[in-house]
Amino acid sequence: MSASLYLCAHALAYVGPGAGFAFLGSFLVLLVALVLAVLSVLLLPLRIAVAALTGRAGVLGAGGSKRVVIVGLDGLDPGYLRGMMADGTARNLASLAEAGVFSDLRTTCPAISPVAWSSFATGVNPGKHNIFDFLGRDLRTCIPELSSCRIRTARRSGLLRRARAEISLLRGSQPFWKVLGDKGVFSTVLRVPITFPPEKFRGLSLAGMCVPDLRGTQGSFTLYEEAGTRGEAVETREGPEGGSGVCVPVALRNGRMSSRLSGPAVGARAMDAPFSVRLDSDRRGARLRVGGETVRLRVGEYSPWMRVKFRRGLRTAAGICRFLLVSADPVFRLYVTPINIDPERPAMPLSHPPYYSAYLAKLHGPFATLGLAEDTWGLSSGALDDASFLRQTIDIHEERRRMFFDALRRTRRGMCCCVFDMLDRVQHMFYRDMDEEHPAHRPSSGAAGDPVREAYRRADELVGDVMKELRKGDLLVVLSDHGFGTFRCGVNLNRWLEECGWLKTRPDASGEDCLRDVDWERTKAYSFGLAGIYLNRKGRERRGVVDEEEALSLKREIARGLLDLRDAQTNEPVVSRVYDSRETYSGPYRDAGPDLVVGFLRGYRISWETARGRVAGDVLTRNAKPWSGDHCMDPALVPGVLLSNRKLDLTRGTPHIMDIAPTVLGFFGISRPAYMDGLLLAIEEAAA
Amino acid sequence: MFGPSVRLDKALAERLEQAAAARGYATMHEFVRHVLEEAVRDSEETQSEDEVRHRLKGLGYLE
Repeated sequence: MSASLYLCAHALAYVGPGAGFAFLGSFLVLLVALVLAVLSVLLLPLRIAVAALTGRAGVLGAGGSKRVVIVGLDGLDPGYLRGMMADGTARNLASLAEAGVFSDLRTTCPAISPVAWSSFATGVNPGKHNIFDFLGRDLRTCIPELSSCRIRTARRSGLLRRARAEISLLRGSQPFWKVLGDKGVFSTVLRVPITFPPEKFRGLSLAGMCVPDLRGTQGSFTLYEEAGTRGEAVETREGPEGGSGVCVPVALRNGRMSSRLSGPAVGARAMDAPFSVRLDSDRRGARLRVGGETVRLRVGEYSPWMRVKFRRGLRTAAGICRFLLVSADPVFRLYVTPINIDPERPAMPLSHPPYYSAYLAKLHGPFATLGLAEDTWGLSSGALDDASFLRQTIDIHEERRRMFFDALRRTRRGMCCCVFDMLDRVQHMFYRDMDEEHPAHRPSSGAAGDPVREAYRRADELVGDVMKELRKGDLLVVLSDHGFGTFRCGVNLNRWLEECGWLKTRPDASGEDCLRDVDWERTKAYSFGLAGIYLNRKGRERRGVVDEEEALSLKREIARGLLDLRDAQTNEPVVSRVYDSRETYSGPYRDAGPDLVVGFLRGYRISWETARGRVAGDVLTRNAKPWSGDHCMDPALVPGVLLSNRKLDLTRGTPHIMDIAPTVLGFFGISRPAYMDGLLLAIEEAAA
Repeated sequence: MFGPSVRLDKALAERLEQAAAARGYATMHEFVRHVLEEAVRDSEETQSEDEVRHRLKGLGYLE
């Protein structure tokens, strides 16, 4: 055996030019590394001098070799967690609580992820960071829009005069990792919401919640379905109604089909990319060909991430997606995830520095880049079943976990932070199984088991593994942005305002979204999104009618009316508290937010209709959708969680999510900036 | 780093620093950017309703 190998090696040896390039390439890398190492040593005295002169800390940065690890668990509910700690299921989180701190964490008003995580990042109230909801509105048109970033198409000057996208982050203030960086502390920040487009700072970041898909939406799946069966099982909507799924009828001939994936739009038309499927003769699997690659599909199993290149003329855009053969017999159904932006060739910036997403993709393979990556719409519409949705959610969790642990091991000092979304998504979609009174309650989730409990178990396991990576002196913070509650009934605030006479509709109102039915000249208050009520104020809204003096009394009247609102079915109140923006917020963006934040009692939330800016419908509607858990209720009822491996001084009372930023700064010996609203939670020294 | 910059005299910059701090901005840059954004907003095109709908598509909270 060894002789034949020896002979082969000689007989087949051919040294082409590639080997020479490889050698030269390696040599160059080595040479550059050596030069950089020598320069680094030679420049050390100069760097120390510059650091001293500019007020930055020494070459190690403030805090020397200290390290903070932050694990964000979106939606971790303190009540549910206590139950799991008590029955011994959440052992790692329980041991963390025993060693350090376990407390409720007061959240923002409203208790919504983009708002709360922005306050986590900046240490300020929404009046200073400008994120009050998922949605904001253009005051000139009052059309609701995404609150966190603005994408405008601008004309480039020059010979080609090609259109280009201008993307700007609308979150104000600055994240505490920018302050850390200014003091020489390096941070790695993964998937914190409202970090798109990524900002520059001394560190690495990967953008999270609200990153769009390649089509520019917040996530649009596609279902390819054998012609003639459309509409039998899947309710997908497209176009004016604003649904997220697209159902494409396809024809199979001799077990083969071919179609096109729809990509980003160029002008009026979308770029597309071809793919084809050949079913096995037994119809238990298939071969998929897309982007020059072929993979096997099995019924009920996802493909790996597949790279897809979209073309139109000279333009190209790179995306990634996963395919799921939902069924092959008797009806062919193929689900395709939203087309995520390819992290290796991002069409929009996903990370800071821009190459960091490509580095992560090279290291770990392609990964979900969409902000709200778990396809809740896919499950709601029936395109995905429970098991397929959960598989997708777990896969995304595992991708992020791999990235995070790699970053953690590489962060020897400074800050390493990552937000995980699984708990939030699973509770949104499966709360109905825990609440026997929920209109969509199912006595048993069947094959899916107890998805919420399983998600908490995985979160506990994650924290346990993080604890194993800790070194003496490290500070570990585990936190959530809000808790969770059941969502049994939607409250159509616009309809209620209309009934009370504060909102008037146009004579031609036809039940449309985006506040199109509102008669602005006669309307005093309106609602959209998930936070609360806006007054139609003179000098703010373009067609405002409410002046400053009237605003005060109007707010009081509306608040009184809301507190009197009762659910006719139970005769119970619906609202626990109404928060006046003038008392709740401070800062330069205060007037951009809602004038009244409605604190609903558990079980209630702003209705689907109001969220979309619709007026039509009943005031109260039972929610029979799979999206059955929520947190858009009185912030006092859905606090988040704070856990730490070190004792924190909580003698001032329940900590607030805004306190995390000054506390981390304090850990590195950096004073709390005057603009921050959060307070330092003093950290007990680590045992010697 | 290589983006356009605006030159201010030192006295104005100091006043801006103070004004930014008094209003709750994190930095003078944030204050200036916000004021300038507000100043040009009215002259810019608004987004069409279709564009906005398209961008919000898929947001689970708006089923």
